[in-house]
Amino acid sequence: MKNTIKNIAALFLIFIFSGSLANAQGWTVPNSAKKKQNPYEATSKNVSTGKKIYNLHCKSCHGDPTMANMLPLAPVAPTDLGAQNFLVQSDGEIYYKVNKGQGAMPTFEKTISDEDKWMVIAFLRSFDKNKKVKQQVAEVKNPEVTDVKLELNVNEADKTLLAKLSGITKKGKRVGLQGIEMSFLVKRSFGYLDVSGEDPYTNEKGDVAVQFPADLPGDREGQVNMIVKVTDDAFYGKLEEARVVTLGVPTDPVNPLDERAMWGTRANAPIWIIVTFVGGVLAIWSVIFLVLFQMIKLPKLAKSKD
Amino acid sequence: MNDLPKQKETNLSFEKIKKDILHPMQNHKGLELWIVFLITVISVCGWAYYIQLKDGLGVTGMRDYVSWGLYIANFVFFVAVSLVGMLISSILGLLRIDWITPISRIAEIIAVAFVAVAGLVIVLDMGRPDRVLNVMIHGRFQSPILWDVTVITTYLTVSALLLILPMIPDLAICKKELTKASPIMKKLYNILSLGYINTPEQHKHLHKMIRTLMVLIVPIGLAIHTVTSWLFAATLRNGWDTTIFGPYFVAGAFVAGSAALIIAMYFFRVNYKLQDYITDLQFDKMGKLLVAVCLVYLYFNLNEFLVPGYKMKTGDDIHLKELFYGNWAIMFWASQLLGNIIPIILLVNKKFRKPLPIMIISLFVLAGAWFKRYVIVIPTMLHPHLPIQNVPENFVHYYPSAIEISVTVLSFALVLLIITVLSKIFPVVPIVETAESKGIEVKIDA
Repeated sequence: MKNTIKNIAALFLIFIFSGSLANAQGWTVPNSAKKKQNPYEATSKNVSTGKKIYNLHCKSCHGDPTMANMLPLAPVAPTDLGAQNFLVQSDGEIYYKVNKGQGAMPTFEKTISDEDKWMVIAFLRSFDKNKKVKQQVAEVKNPEVTDVKLELNVNEADKTLLAKLSGITKKGKRVGLQGIEMSFLVKRSFGYLDVSGEDPYTNEKGDVAVQFPADLPGDREGQVNMIVKVTDDAFYGKLEEARVVTLGVPTDPVNPLDERAMWGTRANAPIWIIVTFVGGVLAIWSVIFLVLFQMIKLPKLAKSKD
Repeated sequence: MNDLPKQKETNLSFEKIKKDILHPMQNHKGLELWIVFLITVISVCGWAYYIQLKDGLGVTGMRDYVSWGLYIANFVFFVAVSLVGMLISSILGLLRIDWITPISRIAEIIAVAFVAVAGLVIVLDMGRPDRVLNVMIHGRFQSPILWDVTVITTYLTVSALLLILPMIPDLAICKKELTKASPIMKKLYNILSLGYINTPEQHKHLHKMIRTLMVLIVPIGLAIHTVTSWLFAATLRNGWDTTIFGPYFVAGAFVAGSAALIIAMYFFRVNYKLQDYITDLQFDKMGKLLVAVCLVYLYFNLNEFLVPGYKMKTGDDIHLKELFYGNWAIMFWASQLLGNIIPIILLVNKKFRKPLPIMIISLFVLAGAWFKRYVIVIPTMLHPHLPIQNVPENFVHYYPSAIEISVTVLSFALVLLIITVLSKIFPVVPIVETAESKGIEVKIDA
């Protein structure tokens, strides 16, 4: 099924872009653009962020870096972005090409933020063999395991979260899985806040410890909803642990509708506006009724003359 | 230029004034025909409203984005025109400007008719008019809608009182003179004239009441149109989010109202043969007044468009470009040029302030004022802050449907009908006041 869709997509793209693909090889980048440097450091956090964005926006055509499993488009297949002959380009050149697009490569100028684009470049750079300071995504060979388990220990005293990832080897021994990125997510009003920190990779025992932020508001009791999961489902499938933890700062929720304000219900209208309205209506209408009352006097005034 | 008989210095007697003003009320053949025509129009268009009531507001061109369409634009226009009552009979009346005496009642009739129908137009715009009372029952003090409903009701009441109270002496005359009137009308004159026989006490008492109302209607009149502008200005929409919207609307209202009054003056003068009362002087003065209010409105327009046009904030830029040279340019510039700037240039000349030319110019001003309201309401609704996407095609544009246009025609016909009926049962020119202003002795028999 997936391949069918891919093939249809490929045919469609070929049809659309066959004209412009002819000169795809000669993709010149202006000199000014070439000089641009990645403003973000290649920290493991940035690299892993870049990987997530890569998987979302780039992988469907380019495949995994260095794996050469790109979509087989003709006449020009997408480049393996982890290949050395691609990474000889400067950061600026890659950035320019991502922005502008050419032929079947779409433009990402508006669809991905600048920061995210640089993260992707940081991720790709981690495959660069010529890069002097290499900050590779931890690639540790774990033994083949079954029954992978994610355990979560919460230490409420010093607000730390300890996750342990383990699996059973062929020999029947439960071992920790090393170098796997974990995500620690706290539910907020709109989506999840990532509190994983800079280095959320499991150590050789399969453990990863994360310090929960000291100032994160919780509910009245300080409770927050947490999800801890293996970031990349590709390793062991979807593995996550949801938990209500009492690590947040106890907070009394303020309902903006409870106060007297312009946006409130009628019962919560500001006093001054009620006074102005009611006062104005009473003042004007009492004058009107006064005049109406005075009209009754008019016939009497005719008689008093006689 | 002027096909009407030339103005003569006539020595009018009280009897002649009475005869001139009361005669056409009962002896005007065309008037009945005109009323029949209006009732026919209302009945036909009433059918359109019945369809809207039956099938809901989906029969209009209004959709999710443009939820205020032709009806609201028309409502703002009606409220604007009604403000002439406050301008003429109250502001100019309190300043004791004497040339307004013969036209002040026409101004009040216009005010009453337009503000009454303005309130009705809002009900016509409701999908469930049976729930109209909920506005009062559940209205929020913070919402301009509650204020608008309140202030329109109040303005209608005070305008009606300001129509009737100064008319009491005339009604006392009607009671005696209009012998051919139907028994119901005689009863009405009898009740409304409140036994007035023009004793000095009665005169003093009556004028005290009138002056009180004249003062009272100034803040109400300002409020009615300021609050109407707040319906728009209290939102964060481009084109409405401006601090001068209140005075801007008031200034625009004086333009529309003055133009409407000039047109009404012309038709009453011709049809009721009131050349001796609504004279060239009144047209000349009204022309000057129209120039004055047009200039004020022009000044507000400069502020309203030049200042945001200079800055071109995000959001405002789309709105203003649409108005200046986009889809709305023709309507926008037509309303500005034909409805404001060219009338100012023409009316500065004395010869254009003669009855016929000024009436024709006023028609343009009034039409311009109507289209100006349309340009204020609809383009802003079409440019929300968030992009319009993934909606049916008819959400993106707004074209009033035939039903909407028919219901709007109904509202106009209703206004004209109210004006016609009021001018048929009440003298359109104040008899007693006119006589008093000319120093003629007034006698009302008991």
